[in-house]
Amino acid sequence: MKRLLVGAMALALGAIPATAQSLEDLNIQIHGYATQGFLYTTNNNIFTTSSSDGSPEWTEAVLNVGAQPTPKLHVGVQARYFLLGNFGDAITLDWAAADYKFNDKFGVRFGKVKTPSGLFNETQDIDPSYMWSLLPQGIYPITSRNSLLAHYGGVAYGTLNLQRAGKLDYRGWSGEREIEGNDGYWVSFAESGITLPNGVSGLLNGGALHWKTPLSGLMLGSSLARYNSYSAPAVDTYVVPAGPSKGLTITTPGSFAIGHETVPDFFGRYDKNKVMFAAEYNRTAGLLTLEGISPAPDPYNLRAWFAMGSYKISDKFSAGAYVSQYFDKAATLGPSRYSKDWAISGRYDFNQYLYAKAEQHFIEGTAIGYDANLNPGGLNPNTKLTVLKMGVSF
Amino acid sequence: MKRLLYALLLVVSASLFTVQAKAQVIVIANPGVKASDVSKNDLKDVFTGASTSLSGGTVVPVLAKAGPAHEEFLQAYIGKNDAAYRAGWRSLVFSGQATMPKSVDGDAAVVEFVAHNAGAIGYIGKASAHDGVKVLSVK
Repeated sequence: MKRLLVGAMALALGAIPATAQSLEDLNIQIHGYATQGFLYTTNNNIFTTSSSDGSPEWTEAVLNVGAQPTPKLHVGVQARYFLLGNFGDAITLDWAAADYKFNDKFGVRFGKVKTPSGLFNETQDIDPSYMWSLLPQGIYPITSRNSLLAHYGGVAYGTLNLQRAGKLDYRGWSGEREIEGNDGYWVSFAESGITLPNGVSGLLNGGALHWKTPLSGLMLGSSLARYNSYSAPAVDTYVVPAGPSKGLTITTPGSFAIGHETVPDFFGRYDKNKVMFAAEYNRTAGLLTLEGISPAPDPYNLRAWFAMGSYKISDKFSAGAYVSQYFDKAATLGPSRYSKDWAISGRYDFNQYLYAKAEQHFIEGTAIGYDANLNPGGLNPNTKLTVLKMGVSF
Repeated sequence: MKRLLYALLLVVSASLFTVQAKAQVIVIANPGVKASDVSKNDLKDVFTGASTSLSGGTVVPVLAKAGPAHEEFLQAYIGKNDAAYRAGWRSLVFSGQATMPKSVDGDAAVVEFVAHNAGAIGYIGKASAHDGVKVLSVK
Protein backbone atom coordinates (compact mmCIF):
# COMPACT_ATOMS: atom_id res chain seq x y z
CA MET A 1 0.00 0.00 0.00
CA LYS A 2 2.76 2.41 0.96
CA ARG A 3 4.78 1.79 -2.21
CA LEU A 4 1.67 2.20 -4.35
CA LEU A 5 0.90 5.56 -2.78
CA VAL A 6 4.47 6.81 -2.95
CA GLY A 7 4.52 5.83 -6.61
CA ALA A 8 1.28 7.68 -7.24
CA MET A 9 2.70 10.73 -5.48
CA ALA A 10 5.80 10.58 -7.65
CA LEU A 11 3.58 10.49 -10.73
CA ALA A 12 1.60 13.49 -9.52
CA LEU A 13 4.78 15.45 -8.82
CA GLY A 14 6.24 14.42 -12.14
CA ALA A 15 3.17 15.71 -13.94
CA ILE A 16 3.69 19.19 -12.58
CA PRO A 17 6.26 20.36 -15.15
CA ALA A 18 3.94 19.27 -17.94
CA THR A 19 1.20 21.56 -16.67
CA ALA A 20 3.26 24.59 -15.72
CA GLN A 21 5.27 27.11 -17.67
CA SER A 22 7.45 28.40 -14.86
CA LEU A 23 8.25 27.89 -11.19
CA GLU A 24 6.18 30.97 -10.42
CA ASP A 25 3.21 29.40 -12.22
CA LEU A 26 3.57 26.39 -9.94
CA ASN A 27 3.26 28.67 -6.90
CA ILE A 28 5.95 26.66 -5.10
CA GLN A 29 6.24 27.69 -1.49
CA ILE A 30 8.57 26.66 1.28
CA HIS A 31 7.52 27.05 4.90
CA GLY A 32 8.77 25.71 8.16
CA TYR A 33 9.13 26.17 11.84
CA ALA A 34 11.50 25.22 14.63
CA THR A 35 10.95 25.07 18.36
CA GLN A 36 13.15 24.57 21.37
CA GLY A 37 11.55 23.55 24.63
CA PHE A 38 12.61 23.25 28.24
CA LEU A 39 10.95 20.93 30.77
CA TYR A 40 11.15 20.99 34.54
CA THR A 41 9.27 18.70 36.91
CA THR A 42 9.10 18.83 40.68
CA ASN A 43 8.98 15.03 41.04
CA ASN A 44 8.93 12.40 38.32
CA ASN A 45 11.03 12.61 35.16
CA ILE A 46 8.66 12.91 32.24
CA PHE A 47 8.75 11.96 28.54
CA THR A 48 12.05 10.04 29.01
CA THR A 49 13.88 13.29 29.86
CA SER A 50 15.76 14.21 33.02
CA SER A 51 13.16 16.88 33.65
CA SER A 52 13.56 16.83 37.44
CA ASP A 53 16.95 18.47 36.83
CA GLY A 54 15.58 20.67 34.03
CA SER A 55 15.87 19.33 30.52
CA PRO A 56 16.29 21.07 27.16
CA GLU A 57 15.86 17.75 25.32
CA TRP A 58 12.88 18.89 23.31
CA THR A 59 13.62 20.13 19.83
CA GLU A 60 11.51 20.12 16.73
CA ALA A 61 11.99 21.38 13.19
CA VAL A 62 9.62 21.09 10.27
CA LEU A 63 10.12 21.84 6.60
CA ASN A 64 7.13 22.06 4.30
CA VAL A 65 7.28 22.33 0.50
CA GLY A 66 4.10 22.85 -1.46
CA ALA A 67 3.04 23.68 -4.98
CA GLN A 68 -0.24 24.63 -6.58
CA PRO A 69 0.11 24.07 -10.33
CA THR A 70 -3.61 24.69 -10.90
CA PRO A 71 -6.22 26.38 -8.69
CA LYS A 72 -7.72 22.96 -7.88
CA LEU A 73 -4.57 20.86 -7.49
CA HIS A 74 -2.22 21.15 -4.56
CA VAL A 75 0.75 18.89 -3.81
CA GLY A 76 3.04 19.04 -0.85
CA VAL A 77 5.38 17.26 1.50
CA GLN A 78 6.42 17.89 5.08
CA ALA A 79 9.43 16.44 6.88
CA ARG A 80 10.13 16.72 10.55
CA TYR A 81 13.03 16.37 12.95
CA PHE A 82 11.93 15.59 16.48
CA LEU A 83 13.81 15.01 19.69
CA LEU A 84 12.13 14.49 23.05
CA GLY A 85 14.21 12.62 25.59
CA ASN A 86 14.78 9.17 24.11
CA PHE A 87 12.13 9.64 21.42
CA GLY A 88 12.88 10.57 17.86
CA ASP A 89 16.27 12.10 17.09
CA ALA A 90 15.48 11.34 13.48
CA ILE A 91 13.98 12.96 10.42
CA THR A 92 10.62 11.47 9.50
CA LEU A 93 7.98 12.08 6.89
CA ASP A 94 4.97 13.85 8.40
CA TRP A 95 2.89 13.73 5.27
CA ALA A 96 3.16 13.81 1.49
CA ALA A 97 -0.02 14.30 -0.41
CA ALA A 98 -1.73 15.41 -3.58
CA ASP A 99 -5.00 17.25 -3.05
CA TYR A 100 -7.57 17.90 -5.76
CA LYS A 101 -10.52 20.08 -4.85
CA PHE A 102 -13.27 19.71 -7.41
CA ASN A 103 -15.35 22.36 -5.66
CA ASP A 104 -16.26 23.38 -2.11
CA LYS A 105 -18.54 20.35 -1.82
CA PHE A 106 -16.01 17.70 -2.75
CA GLY A 107 -12.27 17.20 -2.74
CA VAL A 108 -9.87 14.27 -2.38
CA ARG A 109 -6.43 13.90 -0.96
CA PHE A 110 -4.14 10.88 -1.21
CA GLY A 111 -0.66 9.85 -0.16
CA LYS A 112 0.49 9.96 3.42
CA VAL A 113 -2.30 12.18 4.60
CA LYS A 114 -3.25 13.68 7.92
CA THR A 115 -6.05 11.80 9.65
CA PRO A 116 -8.89 14.28 10.25
CA SER A 117 -10.20 12.78 13.49
CA GLY A 118 -11.05 14.69 16.63
CA LEU A 119 -10.62 18.40 17.18
CA PHE A 120 -6.86 18.81 16.93
CA ASN A 121 -5.49 15.71 15.22
CA GLU A 122 -4.82 17.51 11.92
CA THR A 123 -3.15 20.46 13.62
CA GLN A 124 -1.42 18.88 16.63
CA ASP A 125 1.88 19.09 14.78
CA ILE A 126 1.58 22.79 13.99
CA ASP A 127 3.04 24.34 17.12
CA PRO A 128 2.91 27.92 15.73
CA SER A 129 -0.87 27.64 15.21
CA TYR A 130 -1.99 27.19 18.81
CA MET A 131 -1.31 28.67 22.20
CA TRP A 132 -0.49 25.55 24.19
CA SER A 133 2.97 24.14 24.72
CA LEU A 134 1.42 20.69 25.21
CA LEU A 135 -1.99 19.70 23.94
CA PRO A 136 -4.02 17.58 26.40
CA GLN A 137 -1.96 14.44 26.55
CA GLY A 138 -4.87 12.09 27.19
CA ILE A 139 -6.03 12.56 23.61
CA TYR A 140 -2.94 13.98 21.87
CA PRO A 141 0.10 12.28 23.41
CA ILE A 142 3.20 13.95 22.11
CA THR A 143 5.22 10.74 22.24
CA SER A 144 2.81 9.11 19.77
CA ARG A 145 2.41 12.08 17.43
CA ASN A 146 4.16 10.37 14.54
CA SER A 147 1.79 7.44 14.70
CA LEU A 148 -1.46 9.35 15.21
CA LEU A 149 -0.96 12.27 12.86
CA ALA A 150 -1.26 10.63 9.46
CA HIS A 151 -2.01 7.46 7.59
CA TYR A 152 -1.21 6.07 4.16
CA GLY A 153 -4.33 6.29 2.08
CA GLY A 154 -6.85 8.95 1.24
CA VAL A 155 -9.29 11.49 2.55
CA ALA A 156 -12.48 12.74 0.91
CA TYR A 157 -13.78 16.06 2.18
CA GLY A 158 -16.17 18.89 1.47
CA THR A 159 -18.52 21.51 2.84
CA LEU A 160 -22.29 21.47 2.50
CA ASN A 161 -24.19 24.71 2.80
CA LEU A 162 -27.15 24.16 5.09
CA GLN A 163 -28.43 27.71 4.46
CA ARG A 164 -29.96 28.95 7.72
CA ALA A 165 -28.70 25.89 9.59
CA GLY A 166 -25.08 26.87 8.93
CA LYS A 167 -22.49 24.72 7.18
CA LEU A 168 -21.46 21.11 7.51
CA ASP A 169 -17.88 20.04 6.87
CA TYR A 170 -17.50 16.33 6.26
CA ARG A 171 -14.41 14.15 6.03
CA GLY A 172 -14.02 10.44 5.32
CA TRP A 173 -10.79 8.52 5.38
CA SER A 174 -9.38 5.09 4.74
CA GLY A 175 -5.97 3.52 4.55
CA GLU A 176 -3.23 2.02 6.66
CA ARG A 177 -1.77 3.26 9.92
CA GLU A 178 1.78 2.49 11.03
CA ILE A 179 2.86 2.61 14.66
CA GLU A 180 6.62 2.40 14.78
CA GLY A 181 8.49 0.20 17.21
CA ASN A 182 9.85 3.21 19.11
CA ASP A 183 6.47 4.91 19.55
CA GLY A 184 5.46 6.19 22.96
CA TYR A 185 2.75 3.53 23.21
CA TRP A 186 5.40 0.86 23.67
CA VAL A 187 7.38 2.45 26.50
CA SER A 188 5.79 0.32 29.21
CA PHE A 189 6.17 -2.80 27.06
CA ALA A 190 9.85 -2.07 26.49
CA GLU A 191 10.40 -1.69 30.20
CA SER A 192 8.91 -5.16 30.62
CA GLY A 193 11.36 -6.48 28.02
CA ILE A 194 8.84 -6.69 25.19
CA THR A 195 9.71 -5.06 21.88
CA LEU A 196 8.06 -4.87 18.48
CA PRO A 197 10.98 -4.95 16.06
CA ASN A 198 8.90 -3.83 13.08
CA GLY A 199 6.28 -1.78 14.85
CA VAL A 200 2.69 -2.60 13.98
CA SER A 201 0.37 -1.59 11.18
CA GLY A 202 -3.18 -2.16 10.13
CA LEU A 203 -6.13 -0.82 8.20
CA LEU A 204 -8.27 2.05 9.40
CA ASN A 205 -11.22 4.04 8.19
CA GLY A 206 -13.44 6.69 9.65
CA GLY A 207 -15.51 9.79 9.22
CA ALA A 208 -15.96 13.17 10.83
CA LEU A 209 -18.60 15.90 10.76
CA HIS A 210 -18.01 19.51 11.79
CA TRP A 211 -21.22 21.52 12.03
CA LYS A 212 -20.59 25.25 11.82
CA THR A 213 -23.74 26.32 13.52
CA PRO A 214 -25.80 29.45 12.79
CA LEU A 215 -24.35 30.89 16.03
CA SER A 216 -21.27 32.62 14.66
CA GLY A 217 -18.08 31.04 15.97
CA LEU A 218 -19.63 27.84 17.34
CA MET A 219 -18.68 24.49 15.84
CA LEU A 220 -19.91 21.13 17.10
CA GLY A 221 -18.51 17.91 15.78
CA SER A 222 -17.98 14.23 16.04
CA SER A 223 -15.72 11.65 14.50
CA LEU A 224 -15.71 7.89 14.45
CA ALA A 225 -12.57 5.93 13.66
CA ARG A 226 -12.44 2.20 13.18
CA TYR A 227 -9.28 0.19 13.30
CA ASN A 228 -9.06 -3.36 12.02
CA SER A 229 -7.09 -5.94 13.93
CA TYR A 230 -3.43 -5.06 14.18
CA SER A 231 -0.80 -7.72 14.72
CA ALA A 232 2.95 -7.92 14.54
CA PRO A 233 5.89 -10.04 15.74
CA ALA A 234 7.01 -9.30 19.30
CA VAL A 235 10.07 -10.36 21.24
CA ASP A 236 10.23 -10.83 24.97
CA THR A 237 13.74 -10.40 26.34
CA TYR A 238 14.28 -11.53 29.92
CA VAL A 239 17.57 -11.21 31.79
CA VAL A 240 17.82 -13.57 34.75
CA PRO A 241 18.33 -11.29 37.76
CA ALA A 242 19.82 -13.72 40.27
CA GLY A 243 20.85 -17.25 40.94
CA PRO A 244 23.14 -19.60 39.05
CA SER A 245 21.90 -18.23 35.73
CA LYS A 246 22.20 -14.59 36.68
CA GLY A 247 22.73 -12.42 33.62
CA LEU A 248 21.48 -15.06 31.22
CA THR A 249 19.33 -13.52 28.48
CA ILE A 250 16.29 -15.51 27.47
CA THR A 251 14.58 -14.41 24.26
CA THR A 252 11.06 -15.53 23.54
CA PRO A 253 9.43 -14.75 20.19
CA GLY A 254 5.73 -14.13 20.14
CA SER A 255 3.15 -11.93 18.54
CA PHE A 256 1.35 -8.78 19.53
CA ALA A 257 -2.27 -8.28 18.53
CA ILE A 258 -4.99 -5.72 19.10
CA GLY A 259 -8.54 -6.60 18.14
CA HIS A 260 -10.93 -4.31 16.33
CA GLU A 261 -11.17 -0.82 17.84
CA THR A 262 -13.89 1.73 17.37
CA VAL A 263 -13.06 5.22 18.65
CA PRO A 264 -15.95 7.69 18.98
CA ASP A 265 -14.99 11.30 19.55
CA PHE A 266 -17.18 14.30 20.40
CA PHE A 267 -15.97 17.87 20.39
CA GLY A 268 -16.96 21.49 20.20
CA ARG A 269 -15.26 24.81 19.81
CA TYR A 270 -16.30 28.43 20.15
CA ASP A 271 -14.14 31.17 18.62
CA LYS A 272 -15.29 34.75 18.79
CA ASN A 273 -13.07 37.77 18.66
CA LYS A 274 -10.69 37.34 21.57
CA VAL A 275 -12.13 34.29 23.30
CA MET A 276 -11.86 30.60 22.55
CA PHE A 277 -13.49 27.68 24.33
CA ALA A 278 -13.15 24.05 23.34
CA ALA A 279 -13.92 20.62 24.74
CA GLU A 280 -13.45 17.05 23.57
CA TYR A 281 -14.20 13.53 24.73
CA ASN A 282 -13.14 10.22 23.28
CA ARG A 283 -13.15 6.57 24.18
CA THR A 284 -10.96 3.68 23.07
CA ALA A 285 -11.68 0.13 24.14
CA GLY A 286 -10.21 -3.16 23.03
CA LEU A 287 -8.27 -6.27 23.84
CA LEU A 288 -4.52 -6.70 23.60
CA THR A 289 -2.86 -10.10 23.41
CA LEU A 290 0.76 -11.17 23.51
CA GLU A 291 0.68 -14.69 22.15
CA GLY A 292 3.58 -16.81 23.23
CA ILE A 293 4.63 -14.21 25.80
CA SER A 294 1.76 -13.54 28.16
CA PRO A 295 -0.99 -16.06 28.94
CA ALA A 296 -3.83 -13.63 29.59
CA PRO A 297 -5.27 -11.06 27.20
CA ASP A 298 -5.19 -7.50 28.46
CA PRO A 299 -8.39 -5.48 28.07
CA TYR A 300 -8.28 -1.70 27.99
CA ASN A 301 -11.08 0.85 28.21
CA LEU A 302 -9.63 4.33 27.85
CA ARG A 303 -11.64 7.49 28.43
CA ALA A 304 -10.21 10.93 27.89
CA TRP A 305 -11.62 14.45 27.88
CA PHE A 306 -10.57 18.04 28.22
CA ALA A 307 -12.05 21.53 28.46
CA MET A 308 -10.06 24.62 27.60
CA GLY A 309 -10.38 28.35 27.24
CA SER A 310 -8.14 31.17 26.14
CA TYR A 311 -8.29 34.94 25.82
CA LYS A 312 -6.30 37.25 23.54
CA ILE A 313 -5.25 39.92 26.01
CA SER A 314 -3.46 42.00 23.37
CA ASP A 315 -2.27 41.64 19.77
CA LYS A 316 0.86 39.94 21.04
CA PHE A 317 -0.18 38.15 24.24
CA SER A 318 -2.69 35.36 24.88
CA ALA A 319 -3.41 33.39 28.04
CA GLY A 320 -5.50 30.35 28.78
CA ALA A 321 -6.07 27.23 30.83
CA TYR A 322 -7.30 23.71 30.44
CA VAL A 323 -8.28 20.73 32.52
CA SER A 324 -7.93 17.23 31.14
CA GLN A 325 -8.51 13.73 32.42
CA TYR A 326 -7.53 10.31 31.16
CA PHE A 327 -8.22 6.96 32.75
CA ASP A 328 -8.34 3.28 31.91
CA LYS A 329 -11.53 1.79 33.33
CA ALA A 330 -10.14 -1.70 32.83
CA ALA A 331 -6.97 -1.10 34.84
CA THR A 332 -6.46 -1.83 38.52
CA LEU A 333 -7.15 1.02 40.90
CA GLY A 334 -4.29 3.35 41.73
CA PRO A 335 -2.41 6.36 40.35
CA SER A 336 -1.20 4.38 37.33
CA ARG A 337 -4.79 4.08 36.14
CA TYR A 338 -5.34 7.78 35.51
CA SER A 339 -3.87 11.18 34.72
CA LYS A 340 -5.48 14.48 35.65
CA ASP A 341 -3.87 17.65 34.42
CA TRP A 342 -4.59 21.31 35.15
CA ALA A 343 -2.61 23.63 32.88
CA ILE A 344 -2.18 27.38 32.78
CA SER A 345 -0.61 28.77 29.63
CA GLY A 346 0.61 31.94 28.00
CA ARG A 347 1.94 32.84 24.57
CA TYR A 348 3.75 35.97 23.40
CA ASP A 349 4.15 36.77 19.69
CA PHE A 350 7.16 39.03 19.17
CA ASN A 351 6.18 39.34 15.51
CA GLN A 352 4.65 37.11 12.86
CA TYR A 353 7.75 34.87 12.88
CA LEU A 354 8.93 34.58 16.50
CA TYR A 355 6.96 33.48 19.56
CA ALA A 356 7.43 32.18 23.09
CA LYS A 357 5.23 29.96 25.25
CA ALA A 358 5.15 29.24 28.96
CA GLU A 359 2.97 26.65 30.65
CA GLN A 360 2.49 25.26 34.14
CA HIS A 361 0.94 21.83 34.66
CA PHE A 362 -0.41 20.31 37.87
CA ILE A 363 -0.54 16.57 37.20
CA GLU A 364 -2.15 13.88 39.33
CA GLY A 365 -1.75 10.23 38.40
CA THR A 366 0.98 8.46 36.50
CA ALA A 367 -0.80 6.92 33.52
CA ILE A 368 0.80 9.21 30.93
CA GLY A 369 4.32 10.29 30.20
CA TYR A 370 6.42 8.34 32.69
CA ASP A 371 8.82 5.45 32.37
CA ALA A 372 10.43 3.30 35.06
CA ASN A 373 14.00 3.50 33.74
CA LEU A 374 14.30 7.23 34.40
CA ASN A 375 12.30 6.98 37.63
CA PRO A 376 14.14 4.12 39.40
CA GLY A 377 12.92 5.19 42.84
CA GLY A 378 9.30 4.81 41.80
CA LEU A 379 6.72 7.35 40.67
CA ASN A 380 5.25 10.06 42.81
CA PRO A 381 1.48 10.28 42.17
CA ASN A 382 1.65 14.09 41.79
CA THR A 383 3.98 16.20 39.69
CA LYS A 384 4.21 19.81 38.66
CA LEU A 385 5.56 20.37 35.17
CA THR A 386 6.88 23.70 33.88
CA VAL A 387 7.27 24.07 30.13
CA LEU A 388 9.05 26.89 28.33
CA LYS A 389 9.28 27.03 24.56
CA MET A 390 10.60 29.35 21.87
CA GLY A 391 9.53 29.00 18.28
CA VAL A 392 10.20 30.54 14.91
CA SER A 393 8.08 29.97 11.83
CA PHE A 394 8.18 31.22 8.27
CA MET B 1 -20.72 46.86 43.54
CA LYS B 2 -23.70 46.90 41.20
CA ARG B 3 -22.02 49.55 39.00
CA LEU B 4 -18.90 47.43 38.86
CA LEU B 5 -20.94 44.44 37.76
CA TYR B 6 -22.74 46.46 35.09
CA ALA B 7 -19.41 47.80 33.84
CA LEU B 8 -17.99 44.28 33.72
CA LEU B 9 -21.04 43.04 31.86
CA LEU B 10 -20.63 45.89 29.35
CA VAL B 11 -16.97 45.05 28.76
CA VAL B 12 -17.69 41.35 28.28
CA SER B 13 -20.61 42.08 25.94
CA ALA B 14 -18.55 44.56 23.91
CA SER B 15 -15.79 42.01 23.39
CA LEU B 16 -18.27 39.55 21.90
CA PHE B 17 -19.51 41.82 19.13
CA THR B 18 -17.66 42.70 15.92
CA VAL B 19 -16.99 46.38 15.42
CA GLN B 20 -18.00 47.74 12.03
CA ALA B 21 -15.18 49.60 10.21
CA LYS B 22 -15.60 52.55 7.85
CA ALA B 23 -15.74 51.31 4.23
CA GLN B 24 -12.51 52.82 2.87
CA VAL B 25 -11.56 49.54 1.21
CA ILE B 26 -13.24 47.96 -1.79
CA VAL B 27 -13.23 44.37 -2.99
CA ILE B 28 -12.22 43.81 -6.62
CA ALA B 29 -12.30 40.76 -8.84
CA ASN B 30 -11.20 39.64 -12.27
CA PRO B 31 -13.89 40.50 -14.85
CA GLY B 32 -14.36 36.78 -15.47
CA VAL B 33 -15.59 36.17 -11.92
CA LYS B 34 -19.33 35.48 -12.07
CA ALA B 35 -20.27 37.10 -8.77
CA SER B 36 -21.20 40.79 -8.68
CA ASP B 37 -21.64 40.91 -4.93
CA VAL B 38 -20.48 38.85 -1.99
CA SER B 39 -21.66 38.38 1.57
CA LYS B 40 -19.28 39.14 4.46
CA ASN B 41 -19.31 35.47 5.47
CA ASP B 42 -18.47 34.28 1.95
CA LEU B 43 -15.74 36.91 1.65
CA LYS B 44 -14.23 35.78 4.94
CA ASP B 45 -14.42 32.16 3.85
CA VAL B 46 -12.52 32.90 0.63
CA PHE B 47 -9.81 34.95 2.34
CA THR B 48 -9.32 32.43 5.15
CA GLY B 49 -9.13 29.41 2.85
CA ALA B 50 -12.43 27.92 3.98
CA SER B 51 -13.86 28.31 0.49
CA THR B 52 -12.45 28.52 -3.03
CA SER B 53 -15.57 29.56 -4.90
CA LEU B 54 -18.09 32.36 -5.35
CA SER B 55 -21.35 31.92 -7.26
CA GLY B 56 -20.18 28.52 -8.41
CA GLY B 57 -16.89 29.72 -9.87
CA THR B 58 -13.38 29.13 -8.52
CA VAL B 59 -11.74 32.23 -7.04
CA VAL B 60 -8.14 32.85 -6.02
CA PRO B 61 -7.47 35.45 -3.31
CA VAL B 62 -4.53 37.83 -3.50
CA LEU B 63 -3.30 39.76 -0.47
CA ALA B 64 -1.54 43.04 0.04
CA LYS B 65 1.67 42.61 2.01
CA ALA B 66 0.88 45.63 4.20
CA GLY B 67 -0.75 49.05 4.12
CA PRO B 68 -3.93 50.80 5.26
CA ALA B 69 -6.19 48.87 2.86
CA HIS B 70 -4.80 45.57 4.16
CA GLU B 71 -5.26 46.56 7.80
CA GLU B 72 -8.79 47.80 7.26
CA PHE B 73 -9.77 44.72 5.24
CA LEU B 74 -8.54 42.41 8.00
CA GLN B 75 -10.31 44.39 10.70
CA ALA B 76 -13.58 44.77 8.80
CA TYR B 77 -13.95 41.34 7.25
CA ILE B 78 -11.59 38.87 8.93
CA GLY B 79 -11.49 40.07 12.52
CA LYS B 80 -7.79 39.37 13.01
CA ASN B 81 -4.56 41.31 12.89
CA ASP B 82 -1.97 40.53 10.23
CA ALA B 83 0.10 38.14 12.38
CA ALA B 84 -2.92 36.08 13.45
CA TYR B 85 -4.30 36.10 9.92
CA ARG B 86 -1.12 34.78 8.35
CA ALA B 87 -0.76 32.26 11.18
CA GLY B 88 -4.19 30.93 10.24
CA TRP B 89 -3.08 30.46 6.65
CA ARG B 90 0.11 28.78 7.79
CA SER B 91 -2.01 26.24 9.68
CA LEU B 92 -3.66 25.30 6.40
CA VAL B 93 -0.29 25.18 4.66
CA PHE B 94 1.24 23.00 7.34
CA SER B 95 -1.81 20.72 7.15
CA GLY B 96 -1.34 20.30 3.42
CA GLN B 97 -4.72 21.85 2.70
CA ALA B 98 -3.65 25.04 0.94
CA THR B 99 -0.78 27.19 -0.23
CA MET B 100 -0.31 30.71 1.10
CA PRO B 101 -2.11 33.22 -1.15
CA LYS B 102 0.08 35.47 -3.23
CA SER B 103 1.03 38.73 -1.51
CA VAL B 104 1.89 41.83 -3.53
CA ASP B 105 3.11 45.34 -2.75
CA GLY B 106 0.51 48.07 -2.96
CA ASP B 107 -2.87 48.65 -4.53
CA ALA B 108 -1.49 49.00 -8.06
CA ALA B 109 0.08 45.54 -7.84
CA VAL B 110 -3.18 44.08 -6.49
CA VAL B 111 -5.10 45.57 -9.41
CA GLU B 112 -2.48 44.31 -11.88
CA PHE B 113 -2.70 40.75 -10.49
CA VAL B 114 -6.48 40.69 -10.31
CA ALA B 115 -6.86 42.08 -13.84
CA HIS B 116 -4.60 39.47 -15.40
CA ASN B 117 -5.42 36.30 -13.44
CA ALA B 118 -8.63 34.38 -13.95
CA GLY B 119 -10.63 34.04 -10.78
CA ALA B 120 -8.48 36.51 -8.83
CA ILE B 121 -10.09 38.50 -6.03
CA GLY B 122 -8.43 41.18 -3.90
CA TYR B 123 -8.95 44.46 -2.04
CA ILE B 124 -7.66 48.01 -2.47
CA GLY B 125 -8.22 51.48 -1.09
CA LYS B 126 -11.43 53.08 -2.25
CA ALA B 127 -9.60 55.95 -3.92
CA SER B 128 -7.14 53.76 -5.86
CA ALA B 129 -7.45 53.36 -9.59
CA HIS B 130 -8.90 50.02 -10.60
CA ASP B 131 -9.09 49.83 -14.38
CA GLY B 132 -9.57 46.38 -15.82
CA VAL B 133 -11.27 44.84 -12.76
CA LYS B 134 -14.80 44.71 -11.43
CA VAL B 135 -15.87 45.90 -7.99
CA LEU B 136 -17.84 43.49 -5.83
CA SER B 137 -20.31 44.99 -3.39
CA VAL B 138 -20.17 43.47 0.06
CA LYS B 139 -23.57 42.81 1.58
